Formats: sequence, C-alpha cells, structure tokens
Amino acid sequence: MSQRRWRTIGLTLVAAALLSIWVIPVLWALLTSFKTERDVLAYPPLVFFEPTLANYREVLFGASSILPNLVSSVIVAGSATVLTMLFAVPAAYALARLALPAKRAGGFYMLATQMLPPVGLIIPYYLILQKVGALDTYGGMTAIYLTFSLPFAVWLMVSYFEDVPQEMEEAALLDRAGRLRALWHVILPQVRGGIAVTTIFVFLNAWNEFLFAVVLAGNRVRPVTVAMFNFISVEQTQWARLAAGAMLAMAPVIVLGLLAQRHIVKGLTVGAVKGGGRR
Amino acid sequence: MNSGGRVRLEGIVKRHGALTVLHGIDLDIQPGEFFALLGPSGSGKTTTLRILAGLEPANAGKVWLDDQDVTMREPGERDVAMVFQSYALYPHMTVGENIAFPLRMVGMPSAAIASAVREAAAKVRIDHLLERRPGQLSGGQQQRCALARAIVRQPRLFLLDEPLSNLDAKLRLETRVELRKLQRSLGVTTVYVTHDQEEAMTIADRMAVFMEGRIAQSGTPAEVFARPATIAVAAFIGSPPMNLLPAHIEAGRLHVADTQFDAPPSAGADGNVVLGVRPGALRIASNGIAARVELVENMGDTAIVDCTVGGTPIKWRVDGVPGVREGDTVYLTAAQEALHVFDATTGQRR
Repeated sequence: MSQRRWRTIGLTLVAAALLSIWVIPVLWALLTSFKTERDVLAYPPLVFFEPTLANYREVLFGASSILPNLVSSVIVAGSATVLTMLFAVPAAYALARLALPAKRAGGFYMLATQMLPPVGLIIPYYLILQKVGALDTYGGMTAIYLTFSLPFAVWLMVSYFEDVPQEMEEAALLDRAGRLRALWHVILPQVRGGIAVTTIFVFLNAWNEFLFAVVLAGNRVRPVTVAMFNFISVEQTQWARLAAGAMLAMAPVIVLGLLAQRHIVKGLTVGAVKGGGRR
Repeated sequence: MNSGGRVRLEGIVKRHGALTVLHGIDLDIQPGEFFALLGPSGSGKTTTLRILAGLEPANAGKVWLDDQDVTMREPGERDVAMVFQSYALYPHMTVGENIAFPLRMVGMPSAAIASAVREAAAKVRIDHLLERRPGQLSGGQQQRCALARAIVRQPRLFLLDEPLSNLDAKLRLETRVELRKLQRSLGVTTVYVTHDQEEAMTIADRMAVFMEGRIAQSGTPAEVFARPATIAVAAFIGSPPMNLLPAHIEAGRLHVADTQFDAPPSAGADGNVVLGVRPGALRIASNGIAARVELVENMGDTAIVDCTVGGTPIKWRVDGVPGVREGDTVYLTAAQEALHVFDATTGQRR
C-alpha cells in the first residue's frame, strides 16, 4: 500500500478520535434516553438493551412534562432574538458606515462587554430586576438576554456590512434612493447570509443559556435548561428522563445548525478573502 | 435631449486631516461637453469627481450646476448619474432590475419603466441580457449595464470614473469609441476621470490635467499636447512622453550637452532651462546633438530608438525601419517651433 494511502488512513483515525470527543456524550445521551432507569445504572454499562419510549412519554406528557418549559424557552429566546436583530442591524450599519463620534471607542466598549464573565453580572442584574419588579418575568429575562446578545450581534453584523462595497451604496444614493432605501433595497439583500447566521447564533445562545435563567427566573418563567436541571435532585437523579429532555432540547439546535450549516461556514470566514463571505 | 448641464467648480478645497488633496480647483464645463479629468494617481481627479457628485463634501469652494449652487445638496438631489470604476452593480438584482432601479426610486409607473429600460439597454446592446444577474456577465457586459443604468435616467450630467480600466486592451479601444458616440448622440455633459493620457486625448473635447491637487493645465487635447504648460504636464502627455533635457540659455543661444544653437524667440532671458522635444519631432542632421543608440524597439510601422544624450535617456520615434543599430552615435535635431523651453526652477513654460 502506498504511503499516501497510509497517510489518509492515519488522518482519518485522528479526525475520528477528535470528533468522538464531541460525539460520544451526545451518543451517550441518545442511548440513555431510550433506557429504563434500571438499565441506566447497570454496571458495566449496557450496550445492548431493550429500548423504551417511556422516558419521552414522561417528559412530554407525564407529570414532569417539559412542554411548558420548551414553550418558555421559545418565548424568551424568540423575543430576545427578534429584539436583538431589530436593534443590531441598524446599529451595525451605523457603526460600519457612518462617521460617528467616538465610533472606535464605542465599538471597543461593545466588544469589551463580551469579555466580562457572566457570573460577575448576576448580582447587579438580580438587584436591578428585583427593584423594577421584573424578576422571574418574560420581560426581565428578555432584557437580560439582550445585554449580551445585542453587542455580540452588532459586532458580528458590522463585519458583514463592511464587506459590502461602499461604491454600491454610493451608486444607490446617486440613484436617488436616499440612505434608508439604499439600506433596504441594496445593502440588506447583500447581508442576508449574515443576518441568517447572526439570528441563529443569537437564538442558540439564548436557548442554551442556563446561569441567568436559573438565578433570575425559574418559577413562573422556567426555560427548558432549568427544567432539565430539576431532574437532578438530592435524593436521586433521573438520568433517563434527563437524557430524553436533553434530546428534545437539543433538537431545535441541531435542526437550525443543519439548516444554516452552509451560511455558518461562510459567515465564519467572512473577510478572510475579499468578497468571500458575500453572495 | 437635455439642454442643461453646465458645470462650474469655484475654488474647491479638500483636506483629509492635515493633508490637503485639492488646493482650490476651478473648472467651467460647457453643456454637452465631454470633459476629461486627467492625471496620475493621487492627483485629486477622482476626489474632484466625487465632490461634483456630492459623495464627499468640499472644505471650501462651490459647485454650480446650471447656475444652481448645489454645494450642499445630497447626491440624489443633483440629477447626476455616475459609472463607477467597479461598476457597483447590485449583485442581487437582474440586469433589468439594475437599470430600472433609479426609475423605481422616483416612483415612475412600471409600464414606463419597462419601456425605458428596454430602450436604454438597446442603446448599449445588452437588451438580450435583461434577465441575467451581473455575476453572469462578462466585464464588458457589466460595464454596459452600468452605463445603461446611468443613461436610463436622462440626467443632466454623467460622471464616469475610469470606466474602461477594468476592460482588456482590445475591448477598451472599442468601448472608447462607442462611449464617445453614445455621448454625442445623447448630448449630455460628461465628466470623465482617467489616468490614461491617450484615452483622454482621443475621447475628450477638453480636458484638465491634474498634478498634486492642482489643475496644471486645461484646454483641448490638441492645445495641451502642442503647448504643455509645465514640465510635469509635458512629461505626462504623449506616448512616449516628451524628451526633457537640461539646458541653459546664454546670449540668445541654447546650450544642450556639447552643442549650442539659436534659442527660439519665446525662450526668454538667460538662465537654466529644461528643453523639451517630442520623440516624433527629432530627425537626423549633421549639426545635431550627439546621441548614443542604446536600444531599438521595432513596432512594425514605427520604431522607438532609445538613446542617451550626455547621460540623459531620450526616445526618438522613427517611421518605418530605422537605419541605426545599438552602439551607433547619431546626430539629432528638431525644428525650432518643435522646441519647448521650460524654466528649470519654476517648471513653467517660457
């Protein structure tokens, strides 16, 4: 066998080993979600077992149904995403294009907020929400999610706007479009991909968020991440139900990821090659 | 089609921070004229065009369009159309939608838009491509699409920023001619930016030569070619450009290298000068300046002979095949009226 062939096999094995670091936990959760609680605790772990849908029935329609929590997650993540994009797109356009005073400082400040550890913000957030009576409300959670998703979205969208040639916008201005119509008819259609990627990232960040949700909400507003946490208690941990809940919570993430895969890869390399991220 | 279109710039100054890129530009362009802004890169010609379009504000000075002061007007309020060097076509729209865009923006009824688009596209012969996207067009077709988008509006002024520079050499020559014909048939005042002196010479009614943020000279191409106002303009215009030799005038005699002869009447007082001679004006004469032949560039019907005169390289253009070889010494002269004398210190024509 040629050296080249061995190289290919070697590289494939290394790639598979690295990939397994990400795949095995998901696979473990998937298998666990079809086991009975007894099979879960069997030692050595069972590879072959009689699969059951009881866990899914329980987490969907049973006493500990997470359906309301999925709905909560959709409301919080959905409204955070819509509001974020509504503000982030014009803000990013302004930062990319307009001659604003303190533009660089403002941009840096926004990036800096991304570097703060979230846990450091929990106490001030808690106190503020408590003062305004927004603890454990949809409004409060959405507002808190905006604080980190908005800077992130603006920062990401700026690079997409900067990628659109200035001349194209100038052509639209000369064609008597004015700033707003130039933005709507000429610029936005060209950053569609960027808007899709940013929307998905913002949604997923909010969907996966746990820390703020468990501290600043958790009773009336209980997103699915918090609900899953409740399967773990002092007396016992319901591993199989937890796994079934996790699979359900993961489903939208995976679906969105697959849908946007092409855009996401393009989006992450934006600016790497001139014009590479557009179209 | 459009009777207006007079353009005047008065004392336009533009600064980028501490750097002044335009030092008071004055221009007066007549209705229907094809006017070229010519100059090397960084000379301020594109900035002037952008100020004319309203895409950049001037720090001082005024822009007049048909006796209206438009200095403070937005680009969309000036009734000018521009073709960018990159064409700036909208990639997500078809060719037809691109051309229709400026009409849609003023709310023209769609039936009128459709016929105007077809008419404009036909003028630049892309009416069979209306359904395509810009990405599916060749460079020449994209350029035509950009032109169609400009002419469909029937503006009072066309601004063209190096519109031919992205085309290959052959297409550039063809398009140059078509552009000129199109402009003639439309009769719209056109301001054309280029760094290619040959392009400006062949296409423009008049031109302004930009040097370091100032207009060094303006006039018809023939005037500028015949009487360049400064050394810089002389060195920029013509292909190959004018030969420039250090010389001095003493008692009405012009001393160049080891030779001297009668100075032209216009040459002025004694002092150091730069003598300019076009390559095509040189001819062999026994009493000429000694030049050593370094290289013969044969181009078929003409040849360029590269020589040195006392260490200064000069070019001599010969019709047909030159009877000289590398290493020969030839004696070159020119008619007195073909001599250009520039002041060595000011660079101005004497």
